[in-house]
Amino acid sequence: MKKEKTKSAPILVQMFIYAAILFVAQIISDLMPKSFPVPTPVIGLVLLYVLLTFHVIKVEWVDSFGSALISLIGFMFVPSGISLAANLKIMQTQGLQLIIVVIASTIILLVVTAYTTRFFSWVISKVTNSQLHVVDHKKVGDVK
Amino acid sequence: MQYITNPLFGVFLSLIVFLIGQWLFKKSKGFFLFQPLFVAMVLGIAILIILAKCFDVTTATVYAKAYKPGGDIIFWFITPATIAFAVPLYKRNDVVKKNWLVILLGLVFGTLFSMVLITLVAKAVGLDAVGIKSMLSQSATTAVAMPLTKAIGGNASVTAMACILNAVVIYALGKQLVKWFNLNSDPLGTGLGLGAAGHTIGSAFALEMGSIQGATAAVAVVATALVDNLLVPVFAHVIGL
Repeated sequence: MKKEKTKSAPILVQMFIYAAILFVAQIISDLMPKSFPVPTPVIGLVLLYVLLTFHVIKVEWVDSFGSALISLIGFMFVPSGISLAANLKIMQTQGLQLIIVVIASTIILLVVTAYTTRFFSWVISKVTNSQLHVVDHKKVGDVK
Repeated sequence: MQYITNPLFGVFLSLIVFLIGQWLFKKSKGFFLFQPLFVAMVLGIAILIILAKCFDVTTATVYAKAYKPGGDIIFWFITPATIAFAVPLYKRNDVVKKNWLVILLGLVFGTLFSMVLITLVAKAVGLDAVGIKSMLSQSATTAVAMPLTKAIGGNASVTAMACILNAVVIYALGKQLVKWFNLNSDPLGTGLGLGAAGHTIGSAFALEMGSIQGATAAVAVVATALVDNLLVPVFAHVIGL
């Protein structure tokens, strides 16, 4: 990572960039077919990432406002949590089973995804290492 | 009742219950059941139930009339906050470019294995077919998961509840889970797992652990939205629900 002395853009300029990306992402999201919904935030994330990667937007134009938003994410989910108040009926009938399954699912998703990834990165490192050994045989020998 | 139908009531209530949560969390030196989001959720719902009793209406009415207008204002900011994850992702572009194949394989097969296990657990505790179908698309964010559930014949509001609870569970148990399953030795997998299991909250959590974890979690949030769109309908069809 490079350490550059850069000034972050004024907060209103940063807000403008986020608002513009949101607006375009919303339009793209509306154009997606009903059978394959891609939500606005996901499109917006990809859009901003692409613009950063192709250096259309500089990172200091979006960095500090973005960090501020991310640091508040726990609070932003309070309304989602409280929205369960509207679904108390489902909870009364099947609540306990649902909660057990959801807690189990969260742990399953975390652990299974993590270990599956670990397995594939082990496999791929084995494959590429054996190729490297063939190609760079001399170099490996030199190091030793 | 007219005093609390102003949107400011929802904003005020959200802030106060979350601040109480933060205070309790600090006072208890990080007791996991006192995670601010969890405390805020339980307290907020309790207050709405009490208000419903006071005004002699249903809790759903109090929620829709009094809380939702203010709650929606706060909820709206999740969209720009999710977009903001492009920045930590871009900062670790090196990791993503080097490991794109591992990331792709890990997410596709991780999601698939998870769906098999989730179905087994759901069957074991005796959920009906509609309940099981509502549990399958959990690794996607709410906005993707709800229409998917509807398409395969599940209950979309149960899925929404599941996605919210995912975030609460990761927020409350994340640290313990990472320790118990010794996840931190592999930042790539940990990031993907946190993104798949906890969505945006999982990504914020991953970012606190490190820049690689944060970047891969952001990748997971985007990629699971696409992977689930393709896998969930096929999976539901194959297991014959």
